[in-house]
Amino acid sequence: MAEPVLEVHDLHVTFSTEGGLVPAVDGIDFAVAPGETLAIVGESGSGKSVSSAAVMGLLPSNADVTGEVLLDGRELIGLPNDELRKIRGNDIAMVFQDALSALNPYYSVGWQVAEAYRLHHDVSKKKAHQRAIEMLDKVGIPDAARRADGYPHEFSGGMRQRVVIAMALVNDPRVLIADEPTTALDVTVQAQIMQLLEDVQAEFGTAMVLISHDLGVVAEVADDVLVMYAGRAAERGTVRDLFYRAAHPYSLGLLGAMPRVDVPPKLRLTTIPGSPPTPGSITTGCAFQPRCAYTDRVGERCITERPELTPRPGEGDHEAACHLGRRPSDV
Amino acid sequence: MSDELLNLKDVKKYFGLRGAPWRKAQSVRAVDGVNLVVRKGETVGLVGESGSGKSTLARVATRLLDPTQGRVEIGGTDVTRLRGRRLRPIRRQIQMVFQDPQASLNPRQSVGTILSTPYRAQGIRPTRAQLVELLEQVGLAEQHLERYPHEFSGGQRQRIGIARALAMKPGLLVCDEPVSALDVSVQAQVLNLLADLRDELGLSYVLVAHDLAVVRQVADRIAVMYLGTIVEEGPAAQVYEAPAHPYTKALLSAVPVPEPGVSRDRIVLTGDVPTPINPPSGCPFRTRCYKAEDVCATERPVLEPVQGSTEHRAACYFPEPPTSERKQ
Repeated sequence: MAEPVLEVHDLHVTFSTEGGLVPAVDGIDFAVAPGETLAIVGESGSGKSVSSAAVMGLLPSNADVTGEVLLDGRELIGLPNDELRKIRGNDIAMVFQDALSALNPYYSVGWQVAEAYRLHHDVSKKKAHQRAIEMLDKVGIPDAARRADGYPHEFSGGMRQRVVIAMALVNDPRVLIADEPTTALDVTVQAQIMQLLEDVQAEFGTAMVLISHDLGVVAEVADDVLVMYAGRAAERGTVRDLFYRAAHPYSLGLLGAMPRVDVPPKLRLTTIPGSPPTPGSITTGCAFQPRCAYTDRVGERCITERPELTPRPGEGDHEAACHLGRRPSDV
Repeated sequence: MSDELLNLKDVKKYFGLRGAPWRKAQSVRAVDGVNLVVRKGETVGLVGESGSGKSTLARVATRLLDPTQGRVEIGGTDVTRLRGRRLRPIRRQIQMVFQDPQASLNPRQSVGTILSTPYRAQGIRPTRAQLVELLEQVGLAEQHLERYPHEFSGGQRQRIGIARALAMKPGLLVCDEPVSALDVSVQAQVLNLLADLRDELGLSYVLVAHDLAVVRQVADRIAVMYLGTIVEEGPAAQVYEAPAHPYTKALLSAVPVPEPGVSRDRIVLTGDVPTPINPPSGCPFRTRCYKAEDVCATERPVLEPVQGSTEHRAACYFPEPPTSERKQ
């Protein structure tokens, strides 16, 4: 792997709430290199969105963030807000799930893209507007010069997401964090947007962190995958490691639970019993243990000792946090 | 009595738009002429993108909405014009499960109260044993009767929604996006539950969903909707493996598949679904279709048998050839 542009080490995020401390992210590591895509996969409450918000320094004040977030080797955690503002939207940009709430209904889309540019570049309004039109054109908005004067409500969901992507890319960021960028979109539009993200990534060499619950999308665009469960990494590896050599019972369960459009249906889907735990409810042992079908093979250890990510022998950088020590499908 | 649980005949549902008084009145053609039959024991999957009219059709079928035109027959009876008290016995035969269990369960009512609502609507006082039986059918237990919706996970709440729909022992459940708000691992549990209930109780379903993989898992028959009309209909295996309508083909090709490194022939459609206020003349899909020709703008194509199969039908002037004739 090339030299990573973004590195995250031992990231912890704890929220202090009325009900006490809630550990949303409990020690994760990841890195992403230019032109590469890392997918963070997990269900609700797994901490995947909180991790990305922590990288961007976007968490509310009741969040305690520790660990390292390095952008080109420079520590971002603890940077004062005015320093962070120079980085956000410039070096690291973000695309959210809901494009409608990411846009301001009172301003034309062209103005909003231009504003994002002017925040980081000392240029005239006219120049910035030209740049905005150029970006809108690049992300596939037809007749961009005219449409730039339109307002968000005049655009369809897919077109709005294109505007948001134009806004994120207007400063040529080195890292793009896309948090469920296509979840709110229809599948034909999703295909357009994923294609667009892949194209701009290839053109600009952007490093992308894709946060998604959709394993199909992940399989198509990711190079590496991090599977999160209850705030921790369950498994990490290349996209092929995950889909063809899943080493964690949770990953395997997710793959089996997913109905597929391309093959005849199974009689029954494999299920994972129960539902994902609320953050902080499991403090010792493996967080997946109560739902795990393989815990009987290991015994006490799953309840008492928390599994750490350990390399899978002979599989390169493929790691899983499971006491089983074997691939679940081999058991 | 025939085994037709639901029969929709040329159903239309237009929503009037209130505009300025000097403007010409406009309407949204949410459902624009749909024929659909659901027989006993079968699961019909209704798929389409947002704005295709699938949810509106589900609401017309359950008589939650009045059709603008057309006929709704439930269990062989024409119920199009029935209202109020006369509709009540009909409602026992067809019930609905909604997408968001958070929104469709009253947060201030206990599960017991929620489950007894359908009985009270029919003027019956349910026994505790009846309510417990309902809970057990969906994999919950007696201890849950006194609890409130917020004490449950999303998957459990959807089970409660299903239990409520089962109270009147309906023959047909209309499920509108029953699993789209759930996590993958929980979604699979609910899909398996629906399959189990079908086998145990001999239920039929109309399953409305945008997720084509979910529909493939449970449906016997598929109807693909686009801009308020059914553009293709047929046995699930045939529609998924040999789609005849270009829209179905594009839709299926757009679904990402969990096989890294396997490249697929994807048909990327350009543009968005046109507005149902002013749908295109002729074929509604022609503005995005890669096969469109002049004839497509003339008259709306009707559903016609594909490959000589009367079961599998598509509304297209240039349907895809049968699989055997396609190039490899």
